[in-house]
Amino acid sequence: MPAKDWTYVMDEAALPEGKMTPVYPSGVNVLMARVGGAVYALEGKCAHMGCPLFNGMLEGVILTCPCHDWRFNIRTGEFIDAPELRLKMYQTRTEDGKLFVSLGQMEGL
Amino acid sequence: MSVESRKKALHYFFDKVVGPLGYKFTPDSDLMDFLLEQEVMLEQKHGIPFCPCQPLRHDRSRDMQIVCPCIPFHRKHFDAIRRCWCGLFVHKDVTDPDSLPQIPPWEVGLD
Amino acid sequence: MKKISMYTLSTCPWCRKTKKFFTEHNIPFDFIDYDLADEATQKRIMEELDANGANGFPFVRIDGEVIVGYNPERYARLMGLEGALVK
Repeated sequence: MPAKDWTYVMDEAALPEGKMTPVYPSGVNVLMARVGGAVYALEGKCAHMGCPLFNGMLEGVILTCPCHDWRFNIRTGEFIDAPELRLKMYQTRTEDGKLFVSLGQMEGL
Repeated sequence: MSVESRKKALHYFFDKVVGPLGYKFTPDSDLMDFLLEQEVMLEQKHGIPFCPCQPLRHDRSRDMQIVCPCIPFHRKHFDAIRRCWCGLFVHKDVTDPDSLPQIPPWEVGLD
Repeated sequence: MKKISMYTLSTCPWCRKTKKFFTEHNIPFDFIDYDLADEATQKRIMEELDANGANGFPFVRIDGEVIVGYNPERYARLMGLEGALVK
């Protein structure tokens, strides 16, 4: 992937285990989350009615939207009750303690 | 936001949700208009666009299963009757929504 | 005369059609709009719906028979209205 596709979003240390933070690379609403040591970057708005997900609840890999309790798997972006619906997933990269996101969607998702 | 603007907004959100599930808005435009308006009213009252034809139980986990579009939470039932309970959505191949009666789950072999 | 009672929602078009059906056939009925009822009445109605496995409205009782969902053919059959249906 060309280097220009990667956008710095936050310092790695600012994202502790089990936490979520919204970031806005190029104005895009992206939700950063760390679970089991892995960092995930997802679309920050719910697939239902666009509610901001950073205020939701993260339990393991299940993210629950604060508005109407729609639940998503943050590893795949899938909506638990209907996997045909999903949140976009973005690639992440860590370099020198900094987190980068590529806004090109991940392949296969 | 006016009722008409909010109806359009709900239409925009819901259209993106129901398509991948194999559903579309009912071709009965009067029914669609009426139901969307009821949902806007329910949203103004409760903060949430609940189904106009199912009961609020004042139990969050159950009430969240009747937030429109509630298809994901009643999939087997609605797939069997090819419409959702209130009729706002029908299967994509339905052209005559009047031909689809409201049938409760147990009458299609579900609990 | 058969006793007709129904639970409905003021927001539900099928509940409105159900009331219209009985009104147009000059059949008296009792109804309660669940969403406009007080808390104790809502609780009682919900218990009755749950006891009958009902998921939504309209909920119509014709004597002992329960019909869930708008079903004019069944109302007509139970009321002996076949052939006299108002379209």
